[in-house]
Amino acid sequence: MSELGVLDSMDTLEQNAALRCEAIVKAFQGVHAVNGAAFEVPKGQITALIGPNGAGKTTVVNILSGSMTCDSGREFIGATEVTNWPSHRIARLGLMRTFQLSRELGGLTVLENLLVAPGHQAGEFLFNVLFRPSLVRRQEREHVERALDVLDTYGLYRLRDNRASELSGGQKKLLEISRAVMASPEILLLDEPMAGVNPALIERIGGYILDLKRDGVTVLMIEHNLNVVEQICDHVIVLAEGRTLATGRLSELRENAEVVRAYLGEVIDASTKH
Amino acid sequence: MSGIWYYVFTLIFFLFDYFILAMGLNIQYGETGILNFAYIGFVAIGAYVTGALSLPNSAGTAQHYILGLGLPFPVNLLLGGLAACVFAVVVALMTLRRLRTDYLAMVLISLSLVLYDVCNNFVPLFNGADGLYNVPEPFAGALHLTTNSFIPFFAAVTGAIALIMWLVMSRITRSPIGRTFRAIRDDDVVAAALGKDVFRQQLKSMLIGSFYAGIGGGLIIQFSGSFNPTAWLPGETFVVFAVIIVGGVGNNIGLLVGSLLVETLLVHLPAFLPAIPGHPGLIEYFDAVVIGVLLMVMLWFRPQGAVPERVRRASSFGVRERLLGDSGAVSDDIAPSPQLAIESAAGPGDGGGQ
Repeated sequence: MSELGVLDSMDTLEQNAALRCEAIVKAFQGVHAVNGAAFEVPKGQITALIGPNGAGKTTVVNILSGSMTCDSGREFIGATEVTNWPSHRIARLGLMRTFQLSRELGGLTVLENLLVAPGHQAGEFLFNVLFRPSLVRRQEREHVERALDVLDTYGLYRLRDNRASELSGGQKKLLEISRAVMASPEILLLDEPMAGVNPALIERIGGYILDLKRDGVTVLMIEHNLNVVEQICDHVIVLAEGRTLATGRLSELRENAEVVRAYLGEVIDASTKH
Repeated sequence: MSGIWYYVFTLIFFLFDYFILAMGLNIQYGETGILNFAYIGFVAIGAYVTGALSLPNSAGTAQHYILGLGLPFPVNLLLGGLAACVFAVVVALMTLRRLRTDYLAMVLISLSLVLYDVCNNFVPLFNGADGLYNVPEPFAGALHLTTNSFIPFFAAVTGAIALIMWLVMSRITRSPIGRTFRAIRDDDVVAAALGKDVFRQQLKSMLIGSFYAGIGGGLIIQFSGSFNPTAWLPGETFVVFAVIIVGGVGNNIGLLVGSLLVETLLVHLPAFLPAIPGHPGLIEYFDAVVIGVLLMVMLWFRPQGAVPERVRRASSFGVRERLLGDSGAVSDDIAPSPQLAIESAAGPGDGGGQ
């Protein structure tokens, strides 16, 4: 039956897309930063969001993560519509994000930055703090153990007791990612995780992102470095002037005249000039 | 009791009382980053409600006030603290959802002025400009205390209450709830992105702080037996700010030091000094100047305060630490070479393990 057929295709759609948005529009005082962007982020894969400067990539990530509301359009996490939900509710559905310019919690130590991340902490309730201290302490120890493991994995263990404001730029990038990982995300939005870090660290961060994919995390990352995109991303979304220009594998997109003109051409031109 | 002891115990009372007040403002401003410029209003509500609840019905007296239930200490004090919490919910619903930082501070200071004018002019509420007086002294009848022996007694009671409230506050600030407050203080957008309901957490912080404000205010009216608008001019909020900034924002022991330096030594001690002949009130004015200068000097040279916020080390959580952490230390400017990795592995500060 046709009705069943529709349902089937919807099911597969929902199963395959961890995150989906439709016709997202956002204007700042009349200027359309995002103008109808629509795409799906396939579950369990690494998707790159690329596009020229001003294409609206960061605005899209801000809207998807709830840091900003959109003027119109819809957003789904799995089958749940989350359009314009506040960011803490979106986060509780398992979507975590990092920021383009690292936003560490400067007064907290590196370890404490990670300890903020887990959801449903018994010790965030005054009643438990005052009357069930052993429950709070036990859960806290579990979180500390896990946080130290994560810090060890990301090469920050040695810095665990330093205030986050004392870290270098690259270390802050790693802290952002490890803090999001500490929250056990299902979907991770990374806003330029490789921007402004040295080549050795780029390689390491790339490795971490591949490890996350292996653990079943869905990743959507804004990235300018096409070598990185080529090496680690399964899927690419090209954004231009606030619209989705094309989606597919990078090799396919290189054949797409429109994409080359809007973005890749610019990058290729720039690289041949050097 | 000689006069000197009267002064000493009065100073001790204010030391402990302002310690309580400072802890309340510190959880709001120092831990959560809420610039509560209406803080003294919460203190006043605590004081008025505590006093009015312990007074008899106003019908037969020369004073005009609401409540008047003749409740015993410390029931009236607890209810005074809770009254400040009720006011906090109203204020939070009006302001915290929409306003941040400077704008929040401006609205709060306006609210504090409105509250002041209402209490000062609307006599049926808390007796207007005359304020409440003849408030019964707690336990004075039962323990046969005279005016002289009441002062050291109540200073000790306040000290005991301050100790309990310090223990409770230490537990709050050391637990995950305190950490979440500090995360919101440092960056509320990040806290929200990590799944924290910022408004709900700020509301909790406001409630805790307001309870402390209410208790601190209630103790003042119980100690002095009276309370009127001259005791809580809106500028008084900044004396409490001075206590926590001088003592050390985010450190509970620092708050006791701040209370000693600012409240006891600068605000109350000079009030007991003999007036300079021919210049009545000069000491008080000079006092305000000294506090202002001290605040500026501290903010310029030691913004973290006399006793700064402590770092919570990993070892304090009681978990086993790794023998040796990451071998690949992160470096920004240079790619990690084998040599560097060895150096960092053997470097100081790495000996977390046994």
